[in-house]
Amino acid sequence: MTTTPALRGVPAINWNRVTDDIDADVWDRLTSNFWLPEKVPLSNDLSSWRTLTADEQTMTTRVFAGLTMLDTIQSTVGAISLMPDARTPHEEAVYTNIAFMESVHAKSYSSIFSTLLSTDEIDDAFRWSEENENLQRKAKIVLDNYWGDDPEKRKVASTMLESFLFYSGFYAPMYWSSRAKLTNTADLIRLIIRDEAVHGYYIGYKFQLAAAEASPERQAELKDFTFTLLQELYDNEDAYTEDLYDPLGLTEDVKMFLRYNSNKALMNLGYEALFPKEATAVNPAILAALSPSADENHDFFSGSGSSYVMGKAVDTQDEDWEF
Amino acid sequence: MTSLLTDTGTEPIAEERANYHALNALLNLYDADGRIQFDADRRAAHAYFIEHVNKNTVFFHSLKEKLDHLVEEGYYEEQVLADYDFAFIKSLFKRAYAVKFRFPTFMGAFKYYTSYTLKTFDGTRYLERFEDRVCMVALTLAAGDRTLAEHLVDEIMSGRFQPATPTFLNAGKAQRGELVSCFLLRVEDNMESIARAINSSLQLSKRGGGVALSLTNLREAGAPIKQIQNQSSGVIPIMKLLEDSFSYANQLGARQGAGAVYLNAHHPDILAFLDTKRENADEKIRIKTLSLGVVIPDITFELARNNEDMYLFSPYDVERVYGVAMSEISVTEKYREMVDDKRISKTKINARRFFQTLAEIQFESGYPYLMFEDTVNRENPIDGRITMSNLCSEILQVSTPSTYREDLSFDEIGKDISCNLGSLNIARAMDSPDLGHTVETAVRGLTAVSDQSDIGCAPSVERGNAMSHAIGLGQMNLHGYLARERIHYGSEEGLDFTNMYFYTVTFHALRASCRIAQERGEWFDGFERSAYASGDYFTKYLESEWTPRTTRVAELFADAGIHLPTVDDWRELAADVARYGLYNQNLQAVPPTGSISYINHSTSSIHPIVAKVEIRKEGKLGRVYYPAPYMTNDNLEYYRDAYEIGPEAIIDTYAEATKHVDQGLSLTLFFPDTATTRDINRAQIHAWRKGVKTLYYIRLRQQALAGTEVDGCVSCTL
Repeated sequence: MTTTPALRGVPAINWNRVTDDIDADVWDRLTSNFWLPEKVPLSNDLSSWRTLTADEQTMTTRVFAGLTMLDTIQSTVGAISLMPDARTPHEEAVYTNIAFMESVHAKSYSSIFSTLLSTDEIDDAFRWSEENENLQRKAKIVLDNYWGDDPEKRKVASTMLESFLFYSGFYAPMYWSSRAKLTNTADLIRLIIRDEAVHGYYIGYKFQLAAAEASPERQAELKDFTFTLLQELYDNEDAYTEDLYDPLGLTEDVKMFLRYNSNKALMNLGYEALFPKEATAVNPAILAALSPSADENHDFFSGSGSSYVMGKAVDTQDEDWEF
Repeated sequence: MTSLLTDTGTEPIAEERANYHALNALLNLYDADGRIQFDADRRAAHAYFIEHVNKNTVFFHSLKEKLDHLVEEGYYEEQVLADYDFAFIKSLFKRAYAVKFRFPTFMGAFKYYTSYTLKTFDGTRYLERFEDRVCMVALTLAAGDRTLAEHLVDEIMSGRFQPATPTFLNAGKAQRGELVSCFLLRVEDNMESIARAINSSLQLSKRGGGVALSLTNLREAGAPIKQIQNQSSGVIPIMKLLEDSFSYANQLGARQGAGAVYLNAHHPDILAFLDTKRENADEKIRIKTLSLGVVIPDITFELARNNEDMYLFSPYDVERVYGVAMSEISVTEKYREMVDDKRISKTKINARRFFQTLAEIQFESGYPYLMFEDTVNRENPIDGRITMSNLCSEILQVSTPSTYREDLSFDEIGKDISCNLGSLNIARAMDSPDLGHTVETAVRGLTAVSDQSDIGCAPSVERGNAMSHAIGLGQMNLHGYLARERIHYGSEEGLDFTNMYFYTVTFHALRASCRIAQERGEWFDGFERSAYASGDYFTKYLESEWTPRTTRVAELFADAGIHLPTVDDWRELAADVARYGLYNQNLQAVPPTGSISYINHSTSSIHPIVAKVEIRKEGKLGRVYYPAPYMTNDNLEYYRDAYEIGPEAIIDTYAEATKHVDQGLSLTLFFPDTATTRDINRAQIHAWRKGVKTLYYIRLRQQALAGTEVDGCVSCTL
């Protein structure tokens, strides 16, 4: 038996020597945000689900099928493809968490499906997601970049996915929630948004670090690549949105939201906004429903909300007990 | 087109960009100058009426036509109106409409129309305006007493008094649930009692508000059954059964069933009980929607102080040794004795670890509530023992066990607890031309609910209600009032005001209950054995004069023309009480006031606000944004939220009120997510030391990570 040379000099991850504080911050945030779909009482949405028209149900189902696919990509390919280029061991650890949570997200949609739909309907939705050209094209564009050999371009594609591509889907549950429907589903989606917001921010940040060190020519190339990719994805997203939302007449409003989020993705990557303010006038009800911070208020007649986190245990000391 | 009125999304928003949901959401976004857009919310409320309510309200030519129709079609209870002649009813409606009431917030209007107002049976059209609902509530409660009906209309329309949801929602309707808010049931250690508890939970959830059950007396997992060891499976499977019962029963879809279970800290299943709320709990034992409460005696704090282990005692053995159920003995008193008693099987855990576990679970789930058993019983003026609280941790009353025959019929009907609630809006009450009259009207209104309640499906509750006529007068809008008067919540003046306000209300509430007893020649069962009858209750008010400590608070009461009761007033009252008795066994309890404080436009309970613009999520509402009352862009400094104010000031404020309230007060603690379990433990110790009786939820707020927040969002950045 030969000894594996790689084993010699492999560094063990030392969290007591964190070189980039953002790694530790994001790790703490992601772990304290840990959740599982079982905590949300989705079945409370059954009665409001039944009030949706057939068109509305179809749209919502397809939205979730599309989201399931994106989360699957991000979990099994995206986050993992970023690991080899991690700048620190801690960054690698953060990606393992991201990969795992993306799997949790993908599974959450299945929880929604199994609560609201029959097996046939679920199979239909998955079939649709495999047959919809725009959705498949979106997947292909992103995957091509993940499988490509440029680490920075992988990060750009990943940030686009986290901060932009998810949101054509997130619109639907936020829309329902602002209309007093599927509010527990919206809670669950808000937990996902809470995670994706941090993921997009973090991957974008790591991209910015790499870009800052690059030569001016390379910087220009990356910027050019980013805007070209965004344009390509945006055109595709436009068509995808029409597929989903045209039957309900919501398309224009969703597109505002898309542009808002594509600006957000660019911001995460350290670039200026592409779309002017007027073109990103998102319906305030949607924008406000999106807020990832956990300050909403609810009572025991409602779901558990998206606000609780895992706590930090610290022993009490004698002085705490002086009475 | 969808058909239910809660579905406000019938038209695509692209056609109508400025709809009321969007206008309301603008509240949560700053305008170009960084100011909160209060005006957008007022426009939202207006637009909601123009675009939605008015279009969907059934029109009647006259009040007569309307009432006749609603009675004929089975919407209104005929008996309620039959107690009055039509001329009076008409004058009462005129009186209500003359107030020219308008909902000041979108949230208030939306909440009222989605959750309270009478709708056609198919759910497509509104049949009542706010004024109609108020009149029907007043007519129902007054039961033919015209003066009381007029007083109730005046107090409710002016916003000074607001009955709790079950009363306000149901009164006068023919198809309705109970008017009572809250039920508390004992469960004893036998299968009949458990089966009865599940049955009662189903029946009571179907009819009314929340149900709480005490599980302290149930034998622990592994305890013997019929002397065969290791047979019992403990409290967890019973919690599962209860949880399913509550999710099954709802009040005609109007309100979901909700339940809580309480367990003593020294019950051997306590850790398993808490673990049901863990984020990673196994699905078989995970409890999602049932609320948990833990009963903590003083001894647990003492053991933790000494960093000792705490023993957990088998309720099965305790009952056999003492001849009474575990909840009937004071664990503090008997602790050392039980530790030394070989007949009682016991296990031990570290006391400090126990408190830390509590805090960990509270981080993850907000539960459990805590009830400080010895404090509660020391302050209890009524003869008997308080062993549990309720779904909102403000009801604290004595109970006795029932016994059953094999077929589940009652052998002996015990005394279980119900409570009907209603709250005063502190700001409006301070503006009242006669605070004493306002309190008296509220007490009479709440007493009427008790008198009219007939909970036949749960005989022990019915008996308890008939014996005690217990009511819970609550308070809300403390923070709104203080901010309006430019006083900081939790400041010296804030504490002083809280003390003097509750002092005054307590006096008037007792006087009202004494007057009712005098009028009817009847007092609650057990009055003779209470601290009211012995006079002990009044000692603290007779020993020294209660006056404001600060000049600002003295001014507030003077300017409002409110007389603060003197020692002489109390002496007179004590004599009257000794002579005539009290009609109500319990008078005050301060509930968390969710929905009704939105309709009433006040801040919840006596809590600080949770946010300047609150994001409210409820099963039926989705996200709606609610501005704090009296807030403008110029007085924002007085609207520090609960997370900024911190647990200490909240506890101190509650401690001032607790001195005067015979039952409890729902006290939620608020922490940033940077807090640790130690911070939570310290707050709990502080609360216990300050004499607070119960603690309700723990709430955490997590700030968006810098770089991920929504731009210009009021609730994320303030």
